[in-house]
Amino acid sequence: MLEVNALVRNFGGLRAVDNVSFKVGKGQVLGFIGPNGAGKTTTMRILATLDLPQDGDARIDGVSVVEYPHEARRKTGFMPDYAGVYVSTTVAEYLDFFARSYGIRGAARQKSVEGIIEFMGIGDIRDRQVESLSKGLQQRVALGRAIVHNPQLLILDEPAANLDPRARIEFRTLIRELAADGKTVLLSSHILTELSEICDEVAVIEKGRILATGTVQDILRGLRRHRILSLRLAGKNEGIERFLFEQHGILKVHDAGDSGRYQFEFEGDDTAQTALLQRIVGAGFPVLEFSAQDAGLEDLFMKITEGRVQ
Amino acid sequence: MILRVPETEVNGRLERLSDLLSPIVVKEVRQMVRGREFNYSFSLSIIAGLIVAFVASTYATTGAGESGARIFASLMACLSLVGLVVAPLGAFNALRNERMERTLDLVTVTTLSPRRIVIGKLMAQAVKLATLFAALAPFVAMSFLLGGIGFPTILFSLAALFLWSLWACAAALFLSCLSKSRAISALILGAMIILLLFLFAASGMAAFVARSVFIGPRGGIGPGYPSPFMSGSGDLWWSFVAMAVICVVTMINLILLAENRLLLPTEDRSTSLRIGFFVQFLLILAAAIYPTLKNPSYPIFAFADSLGVLGGLHLATVALFSVTEELELSRRILQQNRSATGWRRYLGIFRPGGAWGAVYVLVQMAMFLAVGAHFLNSSSNEFSWLVAICAYICLFTGLPTWVGRMMVKRHFKPFQLRAGILLLIPVATLLPDFLMYLFTGDFGGIYSGRHVLDPFRTLSGWRYATTAPWHFLSIGLGVIGVVSYLMLIRMGQRALMPQKLTNDSTH
Repeated sequence: MLEVNALVRNFGGLRAVDNVSFKVGKGQVLGFIGPNGAGKTTTMRILATLDLPQDGDARIDGVSVVEYPHEARRKTGFMPDYAGVYVSTTVAEYLDFFARSYGIRGAARQKSVEGIIEFMGIGDIRDRQVESLSKGLQQRVALGRAIVHNPQLLILDEPAANLDPRARIEFRTLIRELAADGKTVLLSSHILTELSEICDEVAVIEKGRILATGTVQDILRGLRRHRILSLRLAGKNEGIERFLFEQHGILKVHDAGDSGRYQFEFEGDDTAQTALLQRIVGAGFPVLEFSAQDAGLEDLFMKITEGRVQ
Repeated sequence: MILRVPETEVNGRLERLSDLLSPIVVKEVRQMVRGREFNYSFSLSIIAGLIVAFVASTYATTGAGESGARIFASLMACLSLVGLVVAPLGAFNALRNERMERTLDLVTVTTLSPRRIVIGKLMAQAVKLATLFAALAPFVAMSFLLGGIGFPTILFSLAALFLWSLWACAAALFLSCLSKSRAISALILGAMIILLLFLFAASGMAAFVARSVFIGPRGGIGPGYPSPFMSGSGDLWWSFVAMAVICVVTMINLILLAENRLLLPTEDRSTSLRIGFFVQFLLILAAAIYPTLKNPSYPIFAFADSLGVLGGLHLATVALFSVTEELELSRRILQQNRSATGWRRYLGIFRPGGAWGAVYVLVQMAMFLAVGAHFLNSSSNEFSWLVAICAYICLFTGLPTWVGRMMVKRHFKPFQLRAGILLLIPVATLLPDFLMYLFTGDFGGIYSGRHVLDPFRTLSGWRYATTAPWHFLSIGLGVIGVVSYLMLIRMGQRALMPQKLTNDSTH
């Protein structure tokens, strides 16, 4: 659905986007993560045809954003990191204006606007002025504006910024519903826990370069060859550390103090992990919990990026 | 609210009709009717109309005749304030807010082009003006009934005011696009308010409108010879048409200039603008030729004056902006040029890029001189004056651009080159006398060989300059100017030859 191929964008001597390539399939949600100044917004503006790369191209459903920007715009919904509201304009008029601007006419326009109002759950505020709405509601209206022409690709730049927890959860649900409806979503956010719950895949970008793409677990698996396992025993057991060190595949053991919890790095697959648990139980240690630590997007982000900005 | 109107036949029909309008007009009108600016303007117009009507009625009851003319003049002053001050400020703010609030990007990613956005904003102001004019229509009708003014005069005056008000709105839209910076934009707005109020107060808008109808192509400058558009009362219609054509063509160019500012630097920002200014150039040629064709005794110096002054100013402005354009083109423009089909393939001289810009200016200069040669003796002073105008334009636009590009190749941006050229002119004008004063203590002041680089003094005293022994210097400067243009064309061809796909980082 979206194929980004070797995009390059310079601003004077600064290379803001450096050979960026990735793909997103239909109905997938790709999280675009990176520190400030990494090139996320520039890449998104190129995809939204608001900017032009010096080299490379991006195709939205086969349409080049470089060669056919007008066709690409019909297939794309763009929501920047600001709401962009008009004064003295009601929610319904706001959506109606953008529907008209995309060339939707007559009954089709009315149907489209009504559909968006229903889908976004903003029927109660349809006659309220957009500027008077809370940030969360403005974001909802802005998302409605981005999808009013039924685009195949949604580009959302920091959509959850400044939203309260409830608004974030509602927003997340909307994004998942859109993806379930077959829309491809590319979104950036600094709130990594949010992204990990919404996204099918992530692309990590820093200093204009893509550092990794794929699912969070795939990337982590590629990054570290060993697992971090967690073990909790009923009370303090003196011999456990020595026992663990003697086991094959265990690299490092971290004692967690008097709580009876131990963390250790283990090199091996699922079968080896099962065998290890059997050996610990067989040795008579009173195991309360045994689990592989679930690495999150924040771990991945910290591992991959260096925190340098351009 | 708009979408929940009861499903009556009339509403349905109106809803369908609104599809014929630009989305920008629909949105702007919705915002406008809720805004304070429109409501105040409307209320104040009505109050002003009532006061004028009351005073005029009192005046009429005294038995004084022709009081209608006075009423109409007063109403025109009110309408002028609305049309030439309030509406342009509204237009300025409409587009400025769109840029400042960053909603313009949201509209840009829709299927609306920048041109449609600008035209939509202009049409919204037209709706506002039409409403305000309609509000005062009963009072205007009263002025006709009281006598002293004819219906055609009322009609033409209102139409002229409406057109020039739209023109002022188009100018305001262009000005609002000049800067993205809030501070500079506020400065422009402030300057515009002061200028508009000054114009309104100083010149008297009714007189201004009347003059715009009856004025000739020289715009009242120089010795008075009859306006070619107005030799008798029967020519009112034609003079109005001529004024309307000038107004509309320049207004279209203002729209294209605003579009040029709104387009991304990677888009083709030149072709339509160049076509627009070419039409304006043809109009200037026609305005210069028309009186000589109509009146065989029309003085030849007057023809040369109007052609030289209007054509020269046009060419100088166009050259300043066209020649200094980037030589390398964006990928998108190269792609569009390659895939041009049909009549678009023949738009060579209108295409973007500094090299095509130089060709574009040279072609217009050739036409300018061809018209001059047709109506003037080619060995006359008047004709050589036209040649000198072209030569100085080439020198002051071509040479600095070529030298700038040779010296620092890709680092000089168009606006830097333009600023350089604009700085060079006062330097060339003042430096010779300054150096003279520095070395001799004598300011001089009498036109002599050292002033040959001063285009204003040389061209204004051309008759004297041609008799001076150092006249060959001005010819040499002209040749240098033309050669620099040819070098720029060559440089542009070289820049495009390897089909470089870079140079988009200029904004």
